[in-house]
Amino acid sequence: MITYRVGVDIGGTFTDIVLLGQDGTIHTAKISSSVGNYADAIVEGLTQLFQETGLDGSVLEEIRHGTTVASNAILEHKGARTGLITTKGFRDILEIRTLRMPRLYDIAWTKPPPLVERYLRQVVDERIDAHGTVERALSAADAERAVSGLLAEKVEAIAVCLINSFTNPVHELMIADIVRKRAPALPLSVSYEVLPEIKEYERTSTVVVNAYVMPIVSGYLRALRRGLDEAGIPARLLLMQSNGGLTTDTAAAERPMNIIESGPAGGVIGAQALARAKGLKKILTFDMGGTTAKASMVEDGEVTRAAEYSVGAGIMIGSRLLTGAGYTLKVPAIDLAEVGAGGGSLVWIDAGGSLQIGPESAGAAPGPVCYDKGGETPTVTDANVILGYINPLHLVGGALKLNAGKAKTSFAEKVAKPLGMAVELAAYGAHQIAASNMIRAIKSVSTERGRDPREFALFAFGGNGPLFACGMARALSMSRIVVPPSAGLFSSFGLLYADVEHHYARTFRRLLRKADLAEIEAAWTALARQAREQLKIEGFAGPKARLRRSASLHYQGQSYELTVPMPDGPIDAAMVVHLEEAFGREHEKTYGHRAGPEEPVELVAMQVIGMGLRDGVGVPEQVRSSRIEPSPPPPRPAYFGPETGWLETPVLRRSDLAGTRAGPLIVEEYDATCVVPPGARASLDTAGNIVIEL
Amino acid sequence: MAEIRDPIAFELFKNSVFSIADEMALTVFRTTYSGVLKDNMDYSTGLADGDGKLVAQGLTLPGHLGSVPTALASIMRHYGEDMAEGDVFIMNDPFDGGMHLPDIFVFKPLYHQGERLAFAATVCHHTDVGGRVAGSNASDSTEIYAEGLRIAPLKLYEAGKLNKTIMTFIERNVRLPVKVFGDLRAQLAACHIAEKQFAELVARYGPDGTKLYMKETIDYAERLTRAALAKLPDGEWSFEDWIDDDGIDYGKPIRLFVTIRKTGSQMVVDWTGTHPQVKGAINNTLSFTKAASYCGVRSVLPQGIPNNEGVFRAIDVICPPGTVGNGVLPAACAARGLTGFRMTDCMFGALAMMLPDKVKAAGDGGNTGISIGGYHADRSPFIYVDFTCGAWGARPWADGLDGNSHMFANMASHSIEVTEAEHPIQLLAYEFVADKAGAGKYRGGVPFRRDYRFIEEEGTLQVRSDRRDHRPFGLYGGSPGRPSENYLNPDGENRVLPGKLTMTVKRGDVFRHVLAGAGGWGDPLERAPAAVLKDVRNELLSPAKAEADYGVVIDTARWTVNGPATEARRAALRQARSWPEVPKVQREDPVFRAPPPARRRA
Repeated sequence: MITYRVGVDIGGTFTDIVLLGQDGTIHTAKISSSVGNYADAIVEGLTQLFQETGLDGSVLEEIRHGTTVASNAILEHKGARTGLITTKGFRDILEIRTLRMPRLYDIAWTKPPPLVERYLRQVVDERIDAHGTVERALSAADAERAVSGLLAEKVEAIAVCLINSFTNPVHELMIADIVRKRAPALPLSVSYEVLPEIKEYERTSTVVVNAYVMPIVSGYLRALRRGLDEAGIPARLLLMQSNGGLTTDTAAAERPMNIIESGPAGGVIGAQALARAKGLKKILTFDMGGTTAKASMVEDGEVTRAAEYSVGAGIMIGSRLLTGAGYTLKVPAIDLAEVGAGGGSLVWIDAGGSLQIGPESAGAAPGPVCYDKGGETPTVTDANVILGYINPLHLVGGALKLNAGKAKTSFAEKVAKPLGMAVELAAYGAHQIAASNMIRAIKSVSTERGRDPREFALFAFGGNGPLFACGMARALSMSRIVVPPSAGLFSSFGLLYADVEHHYARTFRRLLRKADLAEIEAAWTALARQAREQLKIEGFAGPKARLRRSASLHYQGQSYELTVPMPDGPIDAAMVVHLEEAFGREHEKTYGHRAGPEEPVELVAMQVIGMGLRDGVGVPEQVRSSRIEPSPPPPRPAYFGPETGWLETPVLRRSDLAGTRAGPLIVEEYDATCVVPPGARASLDTAGNIVIEL
Repeated sequence: MAEIRDPIAFELFKNSVFSIADEMALTVFRTTYSGVLKDNMDYSTGLADGDGKLVAQGLTLPGHLGSVPTALASIMRHYGEDMAEGDVFIMNDPFDGGMHLPDIFVFKPLYHQGERLAFAATVCHHTDVGGRVAGSNASDSTEIYAEGLRIAPLKLYEAGKLNKTIMTFIERNVRLPVKVFGDLRAQLAACHIAEKQFAELVARYGPDGTKLYMKETIDYAERLTRAALAKLPDGEWSFEDWIDDDGIDYGKPIRLFVTIRKTGSQMVVDWTGTHPQVKGAINNTLSFTKAASYCGVRSVLPQGIPNNEGVFRAIDVICPPGTVGNGVLPAACAARGLTGFRMTDCMFGALAMMLPDKVKAAGDGGNTGISIGGYHADRSPFIYVDFTCGAWGARPWADGLDGNSHMFANMASHSIEVTEAEHPIQLLAYEFVADKAGAGKYRGGVPFRRDYRFIEEEGTLQVRSDRRDHRPFGLYGGSPGRPSENYLNPDGENRVLPGKLTMTVKRGDVFRHVLAGAGGWGDPLERAPAAVLKDVRNELLSPAKAEADYGVVIDTARWTVNGPATEARRAALRQARSWPEVPKVQREDPVFRAPPPARRRA
């Protein structure tokens, strides 16, 4: 019997489901997300796929799921009524934040409202100093009073975060004990347990977010489990985390802070796996849908992660320099740069006479002009229709009819005429400017980190990614583009490549040369134990559980740290020498210089990543879709800029790409369109990727 | 639109050139050693054309907008054509193009086949540049010579060769040379990035195309600025505000006076009438006064206008030399941030007279500067510098922000836990203080207090605060915010300290600073009772103040508004107040003719 693994990705408008058999067969479904009840959509989608394929729940071995349930709860402020207990004098850390705002010169700036209102923030009279010494002991009576106060307010979750608790958890644990006794079922998030790291605002914010989404996430996962059980699907449920690793539904319900940015991670992990299989060391991923485009970097087979990020910060419009929007989470997440550019982005002319794209989008309603559903402002998709890149008659295998004439009229009148240009030139310009906006996202994960994009291959997916990839790659002097199979469904497809992974970190400040090494060893061992225990619960023990360690270090007196990997083995004098040397090298790489051996190096934080290794092989090398590709439409004229003008361009199916074909050509698929311009060469590799060389 | 040769190519060029400025800024951010640059973002980067006209400035610190052209003009004045590929310039002299001594400028001219096409520009606030007080920020120096190392425009590199003499002079005159050198390297790295990327730009657009589009980028910003200015009413509006004193001549207020004149698409910001320069170290350079003026004007223009010379062309800034807004030698200027902040308040006041529905009331007054420095037992120095502010004036449509950086300096706060791990300081409180925000239909931002406990043997505490005698004004019926406060040992002797001070502190001493509350906007008696209830519930407003200032009577047992009692109370207050007309500006609390009746039971 062939068994299947399932990837499920819930987006704002569509839920994508991919079933992958051991033999490489893929069955896919794209269904409308039923807002408010995503769990039902998944069960319905699976049932529908069973009807189409004759399969049933018993052949599914595992369901892997990327979800926006948690981030939506934050964006829409629909989380739990949460109470916070903190140190006297610091009631407002959560609300004061870091003071910085993401906009300059903007009188209308509004801070995101705190997830816990002030009257639900209780303080307790206690104090622990920077070294963990109790300066002012917390009395049981005071702790009881604070907990009672919140319970009387009928809170649905409690977060606890005291000043300097990462150095000594005694008071936090005392409060946690009381909560667990008084209200055993109440969701509780304690900073020492979930994030024993320095920086009171980042820690408080993270612990609060965790508590705030806990009831919603656990409720959702319970409903989903129940739905699957009722539909006769016993397969276990794994959730994608923001860091790109999988976790069980139980662990996700306990630490939902780890799955907030679950959605976009699948595509990056899938690209990472395909790149490893192809032996590509350096790739930039580019994922473009209807409203936003996202970029990330995979180097030496590793995704890059940010140690902290903001959820609900809105879309990066120009610059990563401006921070302060959204809600801070100090949890490792795949480092993504996002810009507000998608097929629906509006094309307009500003007061200075300059052609602009987005960030406003026509959205699903009214949509682009060519959808003929009342949209009057031209969009990027309209430009692509005018240029002949998109099938002028329909999209999604005929499900969506288009009106190309209407797009052209509107573009001529609203863009071409005011600019005094021919309509195709204006459309081509809009296409290029959209590409240049998205290039900023690519730059922010490459050149802004000191990487040269020319050394990277561009992995393009999402419904619109393969349409823009060649033009963008050309502008960045990149020479190779890879378009993976099921490019338009790649966020769910990518889930199938992920491994179980848990990240643990702890602040532990000690001067390496003066430190008690046994104490450091003990701290690290405790983190490792935590990782092992979690993996064991999930069925990974012995050789199936792998741990990786790293250390964050700086020269004494420096304000910021660098993180270096740490080999296995005891923490002894040799390890100290190794760490100092590894740090010195990393310092030189980042800053261009390093200090002499007389400068003492300080350990700031320690990290452990626990990985659960899967049985047998992962994804088969060759995959093929069960969807029957319709015969391709006839060639059509497409416009590739003033130098080449209009060219009659063949339209192919992916499977037609035998050998190497020179552009111009268009590969039209159910879920995406790939444009290969003149001068480029496209071929299909053994894994089913379209590979384009410029 | 005819001015733009190819609108598409131009848009692509503009994207690239601002991306260079941002990437320079990120390079500084990535490679800096110091928290001043990382947390406070007290630095700026930009690209100017071959004549030194600013084409693009990165999005970091509004207080630096306008500083680059002034500094570049000085470089041009000194060196003219005595400049070649591989040169790098350094300077910080406030009286020769700089701002204050900690802000060190590094410029690199960029060449293509022997022709100078552009300048890469950076300015960073350095942790210490020597002088009599650690951190080089003291507000109580009385002449520039006490403030640190003064660097005239010099070639740090000549044709690619480092001038070691300059580096040695710097090394021997600053307290933390490792940090200063680390940050200078960050500035050089940013210039290097700019050089590389600018060369790619020239390769793509050609030298003539690059020159043309740089000019276009400036013209484009000018068009956007003028189009926006043209939509504002023509006329002349003046406003005055005060700094309490300069910390030397205590109790002697310093008047700032601005007149804005708007005709068509041009605006003049004229500071004539502003107080002569003072002894204390709060004298601005003209470039800083310009930055404050631009900040005010930009806040009423649409978002998204690029930061460059084009904006400056449409806004003239005048300030007579020898005033606190345009100091001349030997004016001390290290702590001139205060004057910049008060000037933006003044700008908001004047703009509020021009555009009543668009401008906010006065905030807490901008950063309070607190520094604690000294030596550990092993004679190694410690320097703790904190700039903090956080209450915005109310807007004509919304409350002022609580706990948000001032618009003129978008700084982030340092983490308390990191501060305690690295400095002999403990923070005992960082929280909102009730009943200090100015009342209004929209209330001012709620201020916070910070309590610092000193835990080394002995140190010097230096404080630059303000808004004690001259409170943040309210607008169009809104009340002013309550004044700022400073105390020593609040739980013991609770000694009241002046707004500006330098004193010795001993182990265990606690210094408390309370920010001023921000001004309100609109008649407090028109504030939605539900909004008053919310503030009372959140303990940002006492029930007594809710009744006295807003006429809202709250049942604190049930957390509801007593409707009939509120109506009656509001009517009584209205009568007792009897405004002939709504006061445009209030700097003191409203006066009631008869004392309001005692509180009735709800």
